[in-house]
Amino acid sequence: MLQALELSKDFGGLTVLQPTSVDFLPGEVHALMGENGAGKSTLMKVLAGLYRPDGGHVEWRGVQADFASPHDALVAGIAMIHQELMPIPDLTVAENITLGAEPCGRFWQINRPAQRQRALELLKELEANIEPDRLMRTLTVAQTQVVEIAKALGRRADVILMDEPTAALSEQEVAALFRSIARLKARGVTIVYTTHKMDEVFKLADRISVLRDGRLVGTSPASELNPAKLIQLMVGRELADIFPVRLPPTDEVLLEVSNLTREPAYRDISFRLHRGEVVALAGLMGAGRTEVVSAIYGLQPATSGEIRFKGRPLSLRDPQDALAAGIGMVTEDRKGLGLIPALGLGQNVTLTALREFCRGQMIDHKAEAVAIRSRVAEFTIKATSPSQPIAQLSGGNQQKALLARCLLGDPDLIILDEPTRGIDIGAKAEIYSAIQGLARSGKAVLLVSSELPEALSLAHRIVVLRRGSVAATLDAATADQETVLRHAMPL
Amino acid sequence: MPALDRHLLHRFGLLLVILAVGLGLSFVTDTFLSVANLTNVARQVSINGILAVGVTFVLLTAGVDLSLGSVVALSGVACATFAHPGDHTVFIPIAVGLLTGAACGLVNGVLVTRGGVAPFIVTLGMMTIARGLALIFSGGRPVANMSSELTSLAGDFLGVPIPVLCFASVATGAWFFLRNFRLGRHIYAVGGNENAARAAGVPVERVKLFAYGLCGLLTGLAGVVLAARITTGQPNAGQAYELDAIAAVVIGGTSLAGGVGTITGTLLGVLLIGEINNGLDLMGVSSYFQAVIKGVIIVGAVWLDRRQSRS
Amino acid sequence: MRLTPRPVAGALLAACSLVALMTAFSGCKKTEARKPGEVLIGFSSRDLSAEYTAKLSEAVVEYAKTKPGVGLVMVDAQSDAQKQISQIENFISLKVDVIILNPCELEASTPAVDRAKAAGIPIVLVNQVTKSAGNAYIGSNDVDAGHIAMEAVAKKLGGKGGVLMIHGIMGTSAQLQRETGAREVFAKYPGLKLVDHQTASWDRAKAMSLTENWIQAHKGKFQAIFAHNDEMAMGALLALERAGIKKDVYVIGIDAIAQALTAVKEGRLDATVFQDAVGQGKGSVDAALLLARKQPCPKENLIPFQLVTPENITPFLK
Repeated sequence: MLQALELSKDFGGLTVLQPTSVDFLPGEVHALMGENGAGKSTLMKVLAGLYRPDGGHVEWRGVQADFASPHDALVAGIAMIHQELMPIPDLTVAENITLGAEPCGRFWQINRPAQRQRALELLKELEANIEPDRLMRTLTVAQTQVVEIAKALGRRADVILMDEPTAALSEQEVAALFRSIARLKARGVTIVYTTHKMDEVFKLADRISVLRDGRLVGTSPASELNPAKLIQLMVGRELADIFPVRLPPTDEVLLEVSNLTREPAYRDISFRLHRGEVVALAGLMGAGRTEVVSAIYGLQPATSGEIRFKGRPLSLRDPQDALAAGIGMVTEDRKGLGLIPALGLGQNVTLTALREFCRGQMIDHKAEAVAIRSRVAEFTIKATSPSQPIAQLSGGNQQKALLARCLLGDPDLIILDEPTRGIDIGAKAEIYSAIQGLARSGKAVLLVSSELPEALSLAHRIVVLRRGSVAATLDAATADQETVLRHAMPL
Repeated sequence: MPALDRHLLHRFGLLLVILAVGLGLSFVTDTFLSVANLTNVARQVSINGILAVGVTFVLLTAGVDLSLGSVVALSGVACATFAHPGDHTVFIPIAVGLLTGAACGLVNGVLVTRGGVAPFIVTLGMMTIARGLALIFSGGRPVANMSSELTSLAGDFLGVPIPVLCFASVATGAWFFLRNFRLGRHIYAVGGNENAARAAGVPVERVKLFAYGLCGLLTGLAGVVLAARITTGQPNAGQAYELDAIAAVVIGGTSLAGGVGTITGTLLGVLLIGEINNGLDLMGVSSYFQAVIKGVIIVGAVWLDRRQSRS
Repeated sequence: MRLTPRPVAGALLAACSLVALMTAFSGCKKTEARKPGEVLIGFSSRDLSAEYTAKLSEAVVEYAKTKPGVGLVMVDAQSDAQKQISQIENFISLKVDVIILNPCELEASTPAVDRAKAAGIPIVLVNQVTKSAGNAYIGSNDVDAGHIAMEAVAKKLGGKGGVLMIHGIMGTSAQLQRETGAREVFAKYPGLKLVDHQTASWDRAKAMSLTENWIQAHKGKFQAIFAHNDEMAMGALLALERAGIKKDVYVIGIDAIAQALTAVKEGRLDATVFQDAVGQGKGSVDAALLLARKQPCPKENLIPFQLVTPENITPFLK
């Protein structure tokens, strides 16, 4: 039905997709697997008309299709849900869902009740409880993702390309999405799907195509593969246990948070963090995890409560205060609060700690270049050069660059908000080992993660938040996923 | 190195346009390519050039400054008021002019950062306020009778017009600053993604304040140079100067959305506009056509340039 | 949106202080109750940032002050005909007795005159005419000014040579008429060549750049520059002096502004044409008062132009 024939794509001299041929059958769920930078997103974007291929072409219903724009592809019946979300923040949920396909009345005026109704139906199909009149900017990342999916569903597309749709979703939301995928499949819709979560692939996919370094390794039915075999195909080598060994933390309290409150997001949050310790904040979407760590980094100060750091009370008005005290953070919202898209990779990495490479007010370009080169090597960031605009890198490489930026200033407390969201297993393993390395060197890590296995394996203790309050503090060595979830669920 | 290549191509493209227009002009007129005329072009672009360099800083932070022309007039009037022969040494009126400009810029900056008012509105307000103040201080009349020390600022130094020297040093200084100073890097970061810059610990407010203040200071300098050139402080001088300056900066590849742009680009943009103005006069093109041709060339240059950098 | 008392109070306070501010800066005449029998004149000036207009407007204000029982409201149109029309509309709602209009443009300011006439308020035009005639016109015929200036050029060059002309803002009546006057002289002397002409929008800096470019384009081919006003003549003069060729070129402007007169006295500028700003200002007030008191008033009062050269400069210097 949809076929990629010898498709290839270059970016500025770097071949990101070697000539690749894949065919997609009607009514199948076809997973594209591979590490970051393997070419999955690129392949999808070519199929969706977002990129023009440099070689080969796309065949659609047996004819050569030359999609000049995403709109062309959409008209033909191919919709894409992007990994980097593209909502319009000041429109409502209903307006976003029906964008470009607004139900219109006789005089081309938008039929508001019909628009709202349509949005409600689509959201219901996803079992999502989102008010269609809310402004997009008030939604959480997970809710935004759901809206994006609803939008694609609404196009009645024959092929839906989903790039990491579950990266930001909670367990229930994922389950709901899977049920809608099953319904779509029954209708004969083709789903092309990428993910970094192994369990999902085997639950969902009929066939799996594996890409590595821009090359198609092979396509086979999911039933003929198992997770270990799949990982081996993806990375080209066998991965040992990706979670490094934890060492016990010290007794020295580094951070002490007491009664931190900012209504309505969270209240009376208290916990401690020792040197050498990793603490994970767990909880459902909207439990207030991101808000709490944002307060500790000064991004969105709390209205009451105390933060003591290295034994002294800390007044945080903005991130500069936090950085000066020795607190660094990698934010969840990579695009909005992380990347400076127009600056090069290197300049993004040195942005926070630029002072270290300055004589007086002037930048010492040599020292900066040396630091960049060593960090790019240390974090194995793949880029054509340190001056390549960071927006052109893959998600995993962007994330590693932001982690490098945070660590360059040598903070004592590192806050990581969803550090492995939407990145591949290889990059994940590197970030995991970086986290343990930090703990071993006497620093402390405050981790927010929606992936429970990750939180349980990395952290010493888990602070579970429920609706903005601390529900439990668990020892990670004895807790299991079930216990954490029980505390996280609203009673 | 694709990023670098694109920049080279970008500048190369604009340079080609400038050379092509120049080549055309030297065929059509027999005077364009003379030392005297090229000196002329340099002299005439220097005021717009100083303004364009200043406003580059503001545009890089994703702001805008519409008050340039009015602040030029106000600074010129302020400078001329203190420049009557025998009143003060020549440094006083120069300092007064520069400080007037800087003060206007800082007011813009404070309102944008602390007041949270959109730069378009703040500087639109400053545009009429500064014009009004210029008229009030001058009583609506040109402030004449300026000392020869000050008007000699429009003369030559070792055969090079002093306004050109001012422009050249301002441009060189700005280029060096943006490249080598921490604050310069911060300006790009703030314009590229303000929230991310704040989260990365960049003092966003201070950076913006600096950009507006510096733009004001350079506008003050342009006011002083203009007053010296026309030997009066004219309250109605500088009408629509901001548009020429912003046009030059945008032609030079600076993004109105902020975060992208260079001083070399601005320099080329200024040269292209100056070249067109001079060429049209030399060819004796009628006033009506001049306006149309100028507009077409400005939009065309940007269009060509963007098309090239996209492919 | 729900209105709580606090923002309402805040808005009221802001509104009050704004009105107070505006009153503080106004001449206060408007806000006081009008005394019976007082004549109220509304005066819209073209542009107070132009020296000639400023001088004329000052004469109007000062002269009106010397008349007992006369009030005057002055506004500045800042060369914007649209603004001027609204100002006249404001005068009509203020119920002024008579309007003095110093029009921005020949065509665009015409509606202002029509509005006043429709409202039955007499209107005096000063310095510039519009398509619709006012009840009286005080001014000088700008065709004469152009004629006088070009005649001076022709005389100086002996009826032979190259001339450059710098226009004012294209389409203004002063520009159109001064050009007409000048072209009459060109028609009379076939030896006189118009080498090039271009607008500098009444602006000194623009005229200076233009002249610099002309020096390159037409070096040696011109012996005189005629600028439509003194501002631009001063710009041309500065450019010629910088290039060191002023002695070869005769420069003349119109208006006799203070700087130009000084330059003529110092022998830098060759001549200017005197337009009697004070005479026009006083004349317009006289005409306005006659009209307001329903007394007969001449339709037109033309104040003549005079050529000012170093020989006859003294009485103009005051």
